[in-house]
Amino acid sequence: MGSIVEPWAITENGNATAKGSSRELRHGRTAHNMSSSSLRKKSDLRLIQKVPCKTLKNILSNFQEVILGTKLTLLFLAIPLAILANSYHYGRPLIFGLSLIGLTPLAERVSFLTEQLAFYTGPTVGGLLNATCGNATELIIAILALANNKVAVVKYSLLGSILSNLLLVLGTSLFCGGIANIRREQRFDRKQADVNFFLLLMGLLCHLLPLLLKYAATGEVSTSLINKMSLNLSRTSSIVMLIAYIAYLIFQLWTHRQLFEAQEDDDDAYDDEVTVEETPVIGFWSGFAWLVGMTLVIALLSEYVVATIEEASDSWGLSVGFISIILLPIVGNAAEHAGAIIFAFKNKLDISLGVALGSATQISLFVVPLSVIVAWIMGIKMDLNFNILETSSLALAIIITAFTLQDGTSHYMKGLVLLLCYVIIAACFFVDQIPQKQPNGTIVGLQPKNNPGSGFFSA
Amino acid sequence: MAGIVTEPWSSAENGNASMTPKGSSRELRHGRTAHNMSSSSLRKKSDLRVIQKVPYKGLKDFLTNLQEVILGTKLAILFPAIPAAIICTYCGVSQPWIFGLSMLGLTPLAERVSFLTEQLAFYTGPTLGGLLNATCGNATELIIAILALTNNKVAVVKYSLLGSILSNLLLVLGTSLFCGGIANLRREQRFDRKQADVNFFLLLLGLLCHLLPLLYTYVATEDTPAAVISDMSLVLSRSSSIIMLISYIAYLVFQLWTHRQLFDAQDQEDEYDDDVEEETAVISFWSGFVWLVGMTLVIALLSEYVVATIETASESWNLSVSFISIILLPIVGNAAEHAGAIIFAFKNKLDISLGVALGSATQIGLFVVPLTIIVSWIIGINMDLNFNLLETGSLALSIIITAFTLQDGTSHYMKGLVLLMCYFIIAICFFVDKLPQKQPNGFHMGLQQMNNVVTATGGGVFSS
Repeated sequence: MGSIVEPWAITENGNATAKGSSRELRHGRTAHNMSSSSLRKKSDLRLIQKVPCKTLKNILSNFQEVILGTKLTLLFLAIPLAILANSYHYGRPLIFGLSLIGLTPLAERVSFLTEQLAFYTGPTVGGLLNATCGNATELIIAILALANNKVAVVKYSLLGSILSNLLLVLGTSLFCGGIANIRREQRFDRKQADVNFFLLLMGLLCHLLPLLLKYAATGEVSTSLINKMSLNLSRTSSIVMLIAYIAYLIFQLWTHRQLFEAQEDDDDAYDDEVTVEETPVIGFWSGFAWLVGMTLVIALLSEYVVATIEEASDSWGLSVGFISIILLPIVGNAAEHAGAIIFAFKNKLDISLGVALGSATQISLFVVPLSVIVAWIMGIKMDLNFNILETSSLALAIIITAFTLQDGTSHYMKGLVLLLCYVIIAACFFVDQIPQKQPNGTIVGLQPKNNPGSGFFSA
Repeated sequence: MAGIVTEPWSSAENGNASMTPKGSSRELRHGRTAHNMSSSSLRKKSDLRVIQKVPYKGLKDFLTNLQEVILGTKLAILFPAIPAAIICTYCGVSQPWIFGLSMLGLTPLAERVSFLTEQLAFYTGPTLGGLLNATCGNATELIIAILALTNNKVAVVKYSLLGSILSNLLLVLGTSLFCGGIANLRREQRFDRKQADVNFFLLLLGLLCHLLPLLYTYVATEDTPAAVISDMSLVLSRSSSIIMLISYIAYLVFQLWTHRQLFDAQDQEDEYDDDVEEETAVISFWSGFVWLVGMTLVIALLSEYVVATIETASESWNLSVSFISIILLPIVGNAAEHAGAIIFAFKNKLDISLGVALGSATQIGLFVVPLTIIVSWIIGINMDLNFNLLETGSLALSIIITAFTLQDGTSHYMKGLVLLMCYFIIAICFFVDKLPQKQPNGFHMGLQQMNNVVTATGGGVFSS
């Protein structure tokens, strides 16, 4: 959830900028932050002004900015409820559901806080902060699942996140944007999209080779040898992927910054949305403290999620694969999702694309290899082989999206097709009731076709 | 080695004894193929002062000839590897040494062969020159492939040809785009996509021809005996090869005759003239011809050593034969073009780098591979187009990634970096691949197909 569009030009002008300010200030906002700002509420500080004591006033206004400053505030109630449910040992599926609901506003607030902090830290560090903390929820869930040796959950949730960004977020944005702008031509700059796509294709290559390695081997080769080869290849590929991601950051933040600038827009109506957050509304240290605190709460809820996922899947009759691939990413991406749709409505497709594609690239080239490296450090055998069904869905999602966005224009059919592709993939994982086997965490989901004594298509 | 032809030799039409001044008209510049322009960056101006002192005219001519041919390249220092390799063979030095020295010796030879074909093309005229370049351009790969076939090492053939295509598409192109992007960081780099597109759909045609025999082996049920599958695959491969050759001939007609203008090198500024020293032939036709035949024979000799010693080298260096064939051999064979493509990318002349890399890949994919199949048919060896799952998968993704990357007609260093990283990942994949090879009747090579699982005793792959 952190795509970077432009380093922070705002800090160069000083923090106290006027409303309705020049275009440079608008260009100083990342695509992600612009999209999330659509979910914010203007803080109503009248009530607080009546409080006599100054410190109390500051604390309350701080509190109001952070906790109540979003339209998703109602969902915050789910957090204490989840903690209560866990302490009193209510049904596990209930804890799972409440934790999911509670994660949604937290993810949005974390992005708000990183944006506020970026006001203070300057453009490059701000961009880096966004790039790493943007997908904090997915990263935390992945690492916690690894710590519990649930490698399948890790793989599925990360894969689902990429699919959700590529197909769901992008599809709904393009569809809604197309319907709202049905008489206007919608254009966007393909160069930014292209950079993301060939990084995604490189990530796909890294997933494909370990998969093919397993299929190319025969029965005479021992399983442990194949697993060892796949693991070595995956770990080395992860290092290569991280190098490519660092190069991508250099490219985006430094040498070719101009490719990623947000569109120029002359709409004065746009100012109404943006003006609220031109200056930081909380101090640096309070922002930092809130960030740490919220990350801890995210970690707590993610712990609940990871621990209760099997029971939830049993009691709701859905496979763990479906929950990890479809439900978890919807929760984690909800804020960006809403933002991307809103910007597509306003015919600002560059921002929607920046959010969706940047997020997919970040997960594919940063979170996934980082998880493999963390697993390596922990001694858990996680490789990049995401099994044939998942890898083919990923391959086709990337190819369909790349082809769709190839010409630089958009209409609602494109969005509809991407959305329907997502629905089909979701249906595929919904009906997938094949039991999972996890010896050493190596075989997950569907088994490859080498059951002894049977051919491929034997009935 | 590429034999990319961009334009027929209009310089020959202007006559051979043309003391054309530098900064000459565009037709002469257009008379140079992309490949030759790239290789010319490795040539040295011949310093004829020492030879002028030799009294006898015949000896002087002979020495001039020798100097042009042997010493006219910056790679000349690698030439001593050739006699060293020959001596090692006769003295019975350990085989990995012979392998290494032969590979080193092949590098300058490949570059000289391209120089000689360019010289001969001055005499033979545009079309024939272009054809000569197109066929002899990848002489090294072709000779290695045929020699390996005669030794019945079908796996080496398949791997080396595949590795050549991958090396051209990812390594040469990747390093060129990366270095060019770094050097031209503030400039926009553009190239003409039409030429790249022609190469890509031919490569996709080649990919289809590889994919279908591969899918045959996976579609078969356990009732079908292996012999029937291999038979079907062989017949399909041979017919596909004929079709691939027909399409390659059509590509030559397209490139050399009807749509020549698509392949014209970019219009260039005047500083380009400094590189173009070879506007006139520097050796005569017959001497060029004799040198060409001689060098081809030496290439054949060194390739014989390479093919014979590859297994021993692979064991003693602890690398799989597939890794050596896919990664090491093509690096050697392509070294001259590689350097040239990088140099031209530095100068922001991407059309030439692309012409070299993509043209070479097309030539191997659509000419050398089917020719090898036909030669094996004649010899009676069963070689088909099924390059096995891992290799075909790498090839498919390389073509797709490169095609997508070059799609918009511009370039920056990230594109080159990504292509280069993909090459490293594929190289690592083949490096860790320690699966044993089996070659019964030259049918199952390298990694085995799945239908052998049925006949294997014991558990399947994933039984734990």
